[in-house]
Amino acid sequence: MSLAIIGIAEVPTKRDPERTRWDMLSDVCMGAIRDAGIDKDDIEAVISVNPMAQAQMALDMALGRVPEVLGLKGCKDICVLNSGGTSTTNCLRLAKYFIDNGQAKFVLIPHTTVQSDIPTEDLINFFATAPLDPQWEYPYGVTFNGAMGLITNRYMHDTGATAEQMASVTVTLRGWGALDPNSIFYGKPVTLEDVLESRMISTPLHAKECNFLADGAGAMVVTSHEIAQELGRPAAYELGHGVRFTGATPVLREDPYFIKAYRESSQDALTEADLSIDDMDLRQIYGAYPFTQCSALEGYGVCEFGEAAAIWAEGRCGPGGDLPCTSMGDATGRGHTGSGVSMAFYLDTVRQLRGEAGERQVSDCNHALITTSGGSVMNACTTIFGSAPR
Amino acid sequence: MSEYRKPLPQIQPFTEAFWEGTRNNKLLVQTCNDCDARIFFPRRQCPECWSKDLDWIEASGKAEIYAFSVTYEGVESVFREDLPIVLAWVDLPEGIRMQTNIIDCDPDRVEIGQQVEVVFKPVTDDITLPYFRPVA
Repeated sequence: MSLAIIGIAEVPTKRDPERTRWDMLSDVCMGAIRDAGIDKDDIEAVISVNPMAQAQMALDMALGRVPEVLGLKGCKDICVLNSGGTSTTNCLRLAKYFIDNGQAKFVLIPHTTVQSDIPTEDLINFFATAPLDPQWEYPYGVTFNGAMGLITNRYMHDTGATAEQMASVTVTLRGWGALDPNSIFYGKPVTLEDVLESRMISTPLHAKECNFLADGAGAMVVTSHEIAQELGRPAAYELGHGVRFTGATPVLREDPYFIKAYRESSQDALTEADLSIDDMDLRQIYGAYPFTQCSALEGYGVCEFGEAAAIWAEGRCGPGGDLPCTSMGDATGRGHTGSGVSMAFYLDTVRQLRGEAGERQVSDCNHALITTSGGSVMNACTTIFGSAPR
Repeated sequence: MSEYRKPLPQIQPFTEAFWEGTRNNKLLVQTCNDCDARIFFPRRQCPECWSKDLDWIEASGKAEIYAFSVTYEGVESVFREDLPIVLAWVDLPEGIRMQTNIIDCDPDRVEIGQQVEVVFKPVTDDITLPYFRPVA
């Protein structure tokens, strides 16, 4: 079985209700198919990323409107997949199966989300009820920020990480975002003081360490390694994959910082790829809250438990650093587009491996590790991509 | 008490005993008669061995703060009157960890490892929520 991403397109992350879900969706689907250098009728399956908190759009995607609107006459099947922030990962997995068993040579994977037309109160409610327990957490006023504040607080207690070190993660992520035309924070870096002096939301998380909900869309065209090579265009080749489940409810997890899930999923992925963590030129971590940028490095074995916050504070993970991490900026450095964050992570990884990341380009980027997570980090899905097949 | 507008726990048939307990100022922990597991949150069957021979023990009401977070903003409007809200995960000596709020406290002085005790607050005729407060 093999999978390669051969076409990508994205619209800049913004808050702009004038830009409709279908406008963005059409643009990115057409863009990704053109980028792949194939004909629209070559697409044989459309596997959509479930848009969160947007019931009508989810139904439109589930019931086949995407190939119809775009006139994809070769499309044999459609599906929408939902596992929260890891929906895109599961779209890639199903696409790999379709490609491997001959159901499709080329699969289109689209995402679109508009949150700027949803009332703030409804969004707080969605993010408080969807990934948290309605009986044992929600009645206590737990929000998504609150749940992540609880974990961050304990993480800092256990590791000795300081508020300044934790804030440096956001400074670095915004540093990447400031260089990225697709980030809502393009041209808007922040300083340590900006982060530490922003409003306290749920201790120890300041406003700038929490997610800024935004709109966005992206799409990918995928095929097999063999076809990608025949096409002779730059592509991102999947080399290995691993996943672990951590649990649905934050308070019940035995692995509160997901260290074990990061470790085991990355080991499985690296073993399949026949590579080691030291072979990675870029680590892309989708955890949506800054502590995950630290605990993931500890889980991967890049450093020991308790050492990662200092590494971030030294600037090693940012643009120009010797240990580049999360050039996508994560949700805090780019804007949170619901289930679109993971889409944007894969798109950014493809850009890096194709040498198309502009000012953010990681030098000699040939191998990248990417971890996505869904819900309140219910899982860690780690994939290794390379600029060439094995 | 009928004006309580905040979300109420969605009770299931197999969690009724827990909420009947809190109405009677008792904090109950579900246990498995077959494998002795201490179970939180309460289930229809033991998550360890799938036994349906489940029982309850009354907790001492003592607990220790494992983690906390003080929320100052970003809550739904019905919770706004309660800000700041001290969210906490507390470890019970009976072997479970649960989500709660720390009340009757100075939010700036809450600490990991702090000893707390249960407080029962009736919020409707049917529902009494267990909160915790620092041990004096």
